[in-house]
Amino acid sequence: MVEHAEIRMVHRGGSKINFREPVITNDSRFLLCAAGESVNVYSTSTEEYVHDLQGHTDLVTGVVLNPSNHLQVYSCSADGTVRLWDFTDAILIKTFIIGYPIYSIYVSEKHGGVVFLVVPMADYKSSELFQLVAVHLPHSGDQEVEARELSAVLCDVSPHAGAASFGREGEYIASVKGLQLEVFFFKKQKSYRFSLKSGMKKGAKNAFTCVSCHPKEDCIATGHEDGKIRMWRNFNQKKEYTYSTLHWHHGAVNTLCFTPEGTNLLSGGIESVLVHWHYTQENQKDFLPRLGAAITHIAVSPDGSLFSTSHSDNKITIIQSCVKVSAVIQGLVKGDGVWTNLIIDPRSKALVLNGKPGHLQFYSLHRDKQLYNLEIVQQEYIHEEGLDQFEVVNAAFDARGNWLATVEERRKKGAELEITLKLWAYDELTQSFVLNTTVTAPHEDQITAMFFSPSPETTMLVTTSLDGHFKAWLLADHSDANEGFWACDFVGGYHLLKPGCCSFSADGSLLSVGFQEVVTVWSPASWELLTTLSQPPGAIRDLCFGRLSCSKYLLGASTKNQLCCWNLLTCSLEWSTPMDVSLLQADPLSENMAAFCSQSGSSDLFVFKPSEPRPLYSQKALCTGKVQHAVFAPRDQMLESCEERTQWLNRSQLYFFTQHMDLLTFSTKTEEDRLLASSKQLMVDDSVAVTPFYLLLGKHRGQQLEKQEALTNPMAERTQLPQGSIAIKELLHTPAHVLPSASFLCAMFVRSLLISSSSAREEKEHEEGEREKEEEDSEGEADPRLGESAAWGPPEEFGAPALTKAQERELRKVKTFDHSWLSSLLDC
Amino acid sequence: MAAVGGSSSLGLPCVFSPKSRQYLALCAQDGRLRIWNTDIKTLNQEYVPSAHLSATCTCISWGPCRKAKEGPQRKKRKSEAGQVENQVDLLALGTAAGSVIIYSTVKGALHCTLDGSHSGVVNCVQWHPEDCLLYSGSDDTHIVEWDLQTGKARCKWKADRAPVTSLCVSPDGKLLLSAGHTIKMWDLETKEVYRKFTGHSTAVTTLRFATTRPPDSDGLYFLSGAAHDRLLSVWQVREDGKDKNSVVSFNLTDEPHHIDLFTSNSKEEALRLAVVCKDGQLHLFEHFLNGPCKKPLSPLCTVQMTGVEDSPIPVPLLAAALTTDTHSLLLAYGNHLQPVMERVEVNTAERHVCLTRDVHTTLSLTMETTVSKVKTPVVNAKSKVVVPGLPGHQAPVKGALGSEKRKGTDAKEMSIEERLGKIEMSSEKAVKGAPSLQTDNFAVLLVQGLESKDANILNKVFQTRKDMLIKKTVARVPLPAVLPLVEEITKRMQGHPYTAVLMVRWLKAVLMQHTSYLASLPDLMFQLGVLYHMIESRVKMFHKLTKLHGKLYLLMTQVATSSNEVKDVDHTAKLVYEEESSDEDNASGDEGLPDEDSDNWEEDETKEDKVEEGMRMESKVTGDSDIEPGNESEEE
Repeated sequence: MVEHAEIRMVHRGGSKINFREPVITNDSRFLLCAAGESVNVYSTSTEEYVHDLQGHTDLVTGVVLNPSNHLQVYSCSADGTVRLWDFTDAILIKTFIIGYPIYSIYVSEKHGGVVFLVVPMADYKSSELFQLVAVHLPHSGDQEVEARELSAVLCDVSPHAGAASFGREGEYIASVKGLQLEVFFFKKQKSYRFSLKSGMKKGAKNAFTCVSCHPKEDCIATGHEDGKIRMWRNFNQKKEYTYSTLHWHHGAVNTLCFTPEGTNLLSGGIESVLVHWHYTQENQKDFLPRLGAAITHIAVSPDGSLFSTSHSDNKITIIQSCVKVSAVIQGLVKGDGVWTNLIIDPRSKALVLNGKPGHLQFYSLHRDKQLYNLEIVQQEYIHEEGLDQFEVVNAAFDARGNWLATVEERRKKGAELEITLKLWAYDELTQSFVLNTTVTAPHEDQITAMFFSPSPETTMLVTTSLDGHFKAWLLADHSDANEGFWACDFVGGYHLLKPGCCSFSADGSLLSVGFQEVVTVWSPASWELLTTLSQPPGAIRDLCFGRLSCSKYLLGASTKNQLCCWNLLTCSLEWSTPMDVSLLQADPLSENMAAFCSQSGSSDLFVFKPSEPRPLYSQKALCTGKVQHAVFAPRDQMLESCEERTQWLNRSQLYFFTQHMDLLTFSTKTEEDRLLASSKQLMVDDSVAVTPFYLLLGKHRGQQLEKQEALTNPMAERTQLPQGSIAIKELLHTPAHVLPSASFLCAMFVRSLLISSSSAREEKEHEEGEREKEEEDSEGEADPRLGESAAWGPPEEFGAPALTKAQERELRKVKTFDHSWLSSLLDC
Repeated sequence: MAAVGGSSSLGLPCVFSPKSRQYLALCAQDGRLRIWNTDIKTLNQEYVPSAHLSATCTCISWGPCRKAKEGPQRKKRKSEAGQVENQVDLLALGTAAGSVIIYSTVKGALHCTLDGSHSGVVNCVQWHPEDCLLYSGSDDTHIVEWDLQTGKARCKWKADRAPVTSLCVSPDGKLLLSAGHTIKMWDLETKEVYRKFTGHSTAVTTLRFATTRPPDSDGLYFLSGAAHDRLLSVWQVREDGKDKNSVVSFNLTDEPHHIDLFTSNSKEEALRLAVVCKDGQLHLFEHFLNGPCKKPLSPLCTVQMTGVEDSPIPVPLLAAALTTDTHSLLLAYGNHLQPVMERVEVNTAERHVCLTRDVHTTLSLTMETTVSKVKTPVVNAKSKVVVPGLPGHQAPVKGALGSEKRKGTDAKEMSIEERLGKIEMSSEKAVKGAPSLQTDNFAVLLVQGLESKDANILNKVFQTRKDMLIKKTVARVPLPAVLPLVEEITKRMQGHPYTAVLMVRWLKAVLMQHTSYLASLPDLMFQLGVLYHMIESRVKMFHKLTKLHGKLYLLMTQVATSSNEVKDVDHTAKLVYEEESSDEDNASGDEGLPDEDSDNWEEDETKEDKVEEGMRMESKVTGDSDIEPGNESEEE
């Protein structure tokens, strides 16, 4: 099959942002987290997505701040590279090629220029054994550097993040796996192992889950599967180590984290409570409960003012000063599964599917952002494993979005199934859904399908269930009461067969219900069985009426690799084709249908019109696994593509879920070009600070500057601003990817200083005195400036104000050499 | 194409974000800037400018959409993250102190401050659509062009003798409109006056370009609105320069406060315009701009909003935004401190649309933003609960009168009315004719109760427990009253289980006595269908319950035999504290609330009754006899 270049498959619905521990920047303004193949940067105060760091070609498995430069960040990925980024401007500085898939990354301030990576053991490539290696990152001017000098530190470690931690001042590293804690001392180059008994007899599960080392003292905290936290001390010998136990969690301790000063230990687990242990008084603890979902990671900002907790429902919570949840960064909730179909809310045009347990989430596809969760079950959710709780299993909107029907179900093993059907009316007065009717036990068995009739005259809902019936529910109008309530209007069945699917025709005049091998067609007006269609063998899995010009066709997909198309006028089979269709979806705005077929472990997509024999579009090997959910979402603005292959995307867009719960869609080249063209980059200088304190200081400094300008020579600070010097401008405005690393630039600056003192001695002498005077003058203001630029400014500001004429000349000289100066620098 | 959101200098500034209208920026009376999310209708962020009381915000303008940074190594892989709609970020605020604040909504912080060029109140700020430029007009009669890359004023020129009240940059970024004493059109490259327009006598508050055509094509139009002026004027920029007067004007009910428009890109495309006036009404216009038109145009549709109070108070609309779909509008209404945003479908075929909205329930006093992002739908007592057995859970049983089924309950009720009328006639006769001396039944009382639907009488009758009495009563009920009796029994059985227990005896008696009459009825299925469904659903669990009961009984007896071996513990209390008031309480209870007391008594009785029955049944179960249907329903 021809690969269509103009149609691309793209990710939507964000990626998992709770996959690895996030990083909060030094100034607490940004939060960085691994999200699929990129690193996302969020603002901690507004929870907005700021930008992303793109470049990795596989899953990003770890993000850490560069300990030597707090404006840079390392990220590692399963594609075998470690990349260094400038996260404020989203610039890739360097790529280090390691060559093995990397599972986690650890850094320490003491080990400058070295990163510690978890990679698979070289000899056992296929097995699940991992080792911790130290990689010395080579200094070189190239953008892509091979770093293949790996030195093993620890063997047989756990690939999970949080299973290793650096101790006080990076003197040792602690790693846990299974029932064993291993501490490696760098000075002694020696490791100690401490094992726990499996302790299975009491039912206690002693296995380690996570580790965190105290930043100031020799103490290691480890979390365990049974909910205990052990504090290890005196572990620099084999024998006389001690540990004390803290116990509050009833489930496994998922993550542990010490605050930067080591006064507190934070722990979290499935209870969705952040526990805050005081280090010195270990029996004292504070709690931050009701965080919504199980905590998977905890991160603390370097100044200890912000905490962030990652949760299992793809959410990062930002907590201010230990007690207040200040922001929630929420991705598409990917819970245990999607039981509801993907549906589009006609009112908000949002995608609706299962969200948090017992909720429906509304996800804006245009903005790629979760809007909110709608609470359906309205029962306290108990955060514990192995409980059967109510879950929304089905949902449907009527054509205008005035009614929402939800089915909630509690699946109990071996006991009665509890089902509730709820019908919600959208109340325009209060702008919210209002519960209208609750039907307990609407069916005696699971509900397999639920649809509203698209007909504008009647408001009708049809549910089919495994108990062998389908029921039609009708809104009964009461003339005296303002609102009517829903009541059952008809119960239908066919030879005690179990109905699996149903579908309304576009005008609501026909209802087709698939009873295993038989398709029955009913008239909802009189509830007469009009006809039966059958094409054995194989039970009908999916039914779909054609739309618009193809409304005379009814399509059915059966389990036995058959896609049939019946003509309803002649009541005969129009065509059938052997296809293992897992999902059939009709575009509500056109005649097109999408069929997902699973073939040898991957899914294919065919888009076709029922009346035409040739598919409009087909894509083989779309993704691995079966596609279970898909939906056509109407576009805001119609595309005007005339190309035959992309025409089916003009009116609506097809979204689908892969087996791994990734939300994918198709986009055309024209659409992307339009998006790119419509936006212009806005470069706005943001160096102006804000606080009243700064205004005061700034005024003071301004006065000082004026004084200086009056007193000293015209070479005041004003002229040293970037726009004053062409050379610096040239340097700073060169795209960052052609520049050498920041450490080189820094070295160059220093060297230029040295040269200026030797070569330009004659003019140096009087200049020197002046500069000293200047420095004395500006000492008072130097501090706020430094702090300020650390907080706000891009890194280039450090160099700029300190430049002198001589440096300028040097730079100019450097510039005249064109780019050969780089190589000359490399040589010396 | 939607024009970049403008600002109004009179009234409080209130602007939707451009393109996708995701946010509403609003500066309320308290000087704070609030940004509301129109998708979720919640407060997104709040920003307090450092001098919000002295230098209040006078105008707001959203910056153009941000672009995703084009990385140098960007490759088109098979499935990379898709391009999402660009986010809006920057917001320019003009203040009364003469400074312009740039606020970043993504970072939630001040981006930079532009000051030092204006000496008066900034009346208007406008972004250049392409370059990083910002224009501001002020009371000091000057226009300043700010270069945002440096944060400095790039150019400043005197625009007029009067304060500059409004500005507008053309969509192609080449022309600038300014309003002071007169409306001037500037060429932005040379900063020279291109055209001059006069006509407004009061301060011009609104200037907007209506078309996107070049100025020398005779097709460039713009519109202007002024304070205290109930007309919106449209001006044509003509090639020959003869453009002294406005060509078209739109009729309004008050001075315009907020304008949103879809510019027309060609002659065939109409200009769509939504104007929110000072009196809180919204006017929608659609007009093809092709030359002058004498008469002022009246709106295509006017939208008003009222509250839900008894004497409806108009709810002022604050802002409106058009969408690509001609029928739907995005509205913001209520007060500035807490506006309500809504996407509405408006039927533009009607001249006047009045929407009723309950602003007060959506308004809460606490301004705390919900970080949890969970919406709880309203669940109140008004909702109906349908459980198995109640009508509505199963389809109504089809009788012979299948055609009547669709009409549902109405038809049924009508027939009952009629029937009741008939009963009245005949039963009166029956009452008169019957010997009224008999005291061993309630037949007369029951018939009276059924006729008058008197709940008191019926309660009294139905509380009887003596089987004989019930039997006799039912036997003497005249035939026409049987059906109403069945209806009444059905209704009561759907109620509380305790009353259902009582009603079972009655139902049993009716079925025993009047089967032949009931069987003769043509719509028997229809009448007894509800009863049938109810009984069926209630006995569904019976089998399991009897099983459980048997197991429990076995367990209990074993426990009892084992506990006999244990020595009896002295259960008498060692110390009894007698409360004096307890007697009094009882006494007063007896006196004051006889009804309640009798209810309790009754309940106790039924409980006892039930236990007795359970015991009886148990003996039957163990004696493996068949269970009567009557007993089944009694258990339920």
